[in-house]
Amino acid sequence: MADNNGLFRKYWLPLTLLIVAVILPHVVPHFWVHVFNEILILGLFAASFNLIFGYMGQLSFGHAAYYGVGAYTTGLLMVKLKWPLLACLPISMITAGIAAAILGSFCVRLRGIYFAILTMAFGQLVFYIVFQWYSFTGGDNGLQGINPPEWIFATNLYYYFSLAIVTIAMVVLYYITESPFGYTMRAIRDNSERTEFIGLNVQRYMHINFIIAGMFAGLAGALWGPFNRSVAPDLCNWQHSGHPVFMAIIGGPHHFLGPMIGSVIYTFLNAFVTGFTEYWPLVSGVIIILVVLLMPGGLFGIIKTKGYFASKTTAMADANRADTGGSQHG
Amino acid sequence: MDNDHILKVEHLSKAFFKYQVLTDVNYTLAKGQIAAIIGPNGAGKSTFFNLVTGYHHVTGGHVFFREEEITNWPRHKIARIGITRAFQVSNIYPKLTTYENVRQSILAQKKKTLNFFTPAARLAKEETLELLNLTGLQSHKHTEAGILSQGDKKKLELALALASKPDLLLLDEPTAGMSSEETHETMELVKRLNEEIGLSILFTEHDISVIFGYAKKLSVLHQGILVAEGTPEEVRRNKEAQQCYLGDELC
Repeated sequence: MADNNGLFRKYWLPLTLLIVAVILPHVVPHFWVHVFNEILILGLFAASFNLIFGYMGQLSFGHAAYYGVGAYTTGLLMVKLKWPLLACLPISMITAGIAAAILGSFCVRLRGIYFAILTMAFGQLVFYIVFQWYSFTGGDNGLQGINPPEWIFATNLYYYFSLAIVTIAMVVLYYITESPFGYTMRAIRDNSERTEFIGLNVQRYMHINFIIAGMFAGLAGALWGPFNRSVAPDLCNWQHSGHPVFMAIIGGPHHFLGPMIGSVIYTFLNAFVTGFTEYWPLVSGVIIILVVLLMPGGLFGIIKTKGYFASKTTAMADANRADTGGSQHG
Repeated sequence: MDNDHILKVEHLSKAFFKYQVLTDVNYTLAKGQIAAIIGPNGAGKSTFFNLVTGYHHVTGGHVFFREEEITNWPRHKIARIGITRAFQVSNIYPKLTTYENVRQSILAQKKKTLNFFTPAARLAKEETLELLNLTGLQSHKHTEAGILSQGDKKKLELALALASKPDLLLLDEPTAGMSSEETHETMELVKRLNEEIGLSILFTEHDISVIFGYAKKLSVLHQGILVAEGTPEEVRRNKEAQQCYLGDELC
């Protein structure tokens, strides 16, 4: 019984979110279904980014490059070769993974600000290639006419399609973060030096994580093209790399669902605010400043410290303190 | 059969820019031995450990583990081949629980860290608990390691090193920050590991009673030079060692 309780405690939040996501299209107007679809896709993008940021402890400021590679892979395959969307998704993951493998091999040699700057530089490199290569990528015109296949053409149907893919991807990501590999990432974040002395090749592990993060960013990008009916080089640009950073910071990088919740808040506000004013960046800037100053650790960080649902570790530590009746060690 | 050393160091030198920290050190540790390197602060004890474990780049000389030269190998390869260490200033995973700290090191030793889909919580349960019990950390297993007391952090430091199932264990001031009771418990554990599973151990220490109580062989470092070596009795009588380090009260 206690076990069932534990499962409920652990999974009530994602399950509630999923149920809400399934019901939503039936209760909100058409426009908002679009917004929620965007939330899902950018949420997956942010969750993939958080493998590097929240779990590995490095800030990637060029994650849009892999998102863009995924988006363009699907766009090109669908427009030029008329491939079915379902076949494009895994291919996009692979191409984004290859891009991450090549560029990441340089980035993982660095840490901190140097890591951030190199990821950003490579991101801009990808952006300019896409931007300049008119014959292949369409340059700044982008690619138009990326339509979802007929069976998911309607807004609601494509929304459910995205929901299914994003849910599967999030489950896979969750498993990875809870696996020994996921804990190795936390170990590297906490103390990469010690991780070498327990016999692990830290650089290699960081590289693998970088590739996985790139692959899932590519998957999110692949969902974007058919959703938006087009792709543009801006998807690879550094401003676009900023979105997952903001989302992870708002939602909380130290909780698996933090980036997804961040995407809900950020994307929703974006759609809402742009209804009144064109100064969305001003609003998002103010939000970020407030989050950083008033609730470091994001939304989940503040919930944790306020104790609405105390974290697993603290709860167990409390229980432990209670049943040993105070520690024997002074 | 011809050689029963586990660690052999020849003409080991280290210079940081123009500062010579270690000069031409020759040292041999026999298999299954428990030995200590002593010397005042700044003598080069930690540097010696850092060179053997790949933390610093060796600028002169050779390090052999058994018959294999491991000079300037990458750190993780040296750990894999069987040399692990506990650090002087505890070097743990502060945001993970004590249990997760130890499990991480065990999973690394078992080469399970490239497993992507089995929840880590299901793996290595028994080994982790066993090691926590052995090092006396069982009552803190769900505590975040960063908020442990200094003494408990040092125990965790030892647990992380032991989880790698080393053949040679290097302990850099293993009992610094511990109460005298904890010091005794920890050193008894180290002694037992040495006697029962034949683990070779090399440690540094400032506590005279620990040094003379547990080491079978002592080496005295002074200003980067190995000035004396022998059994505790021999070193106690050695004039040079007395001048460098031990002071008058022991003579």
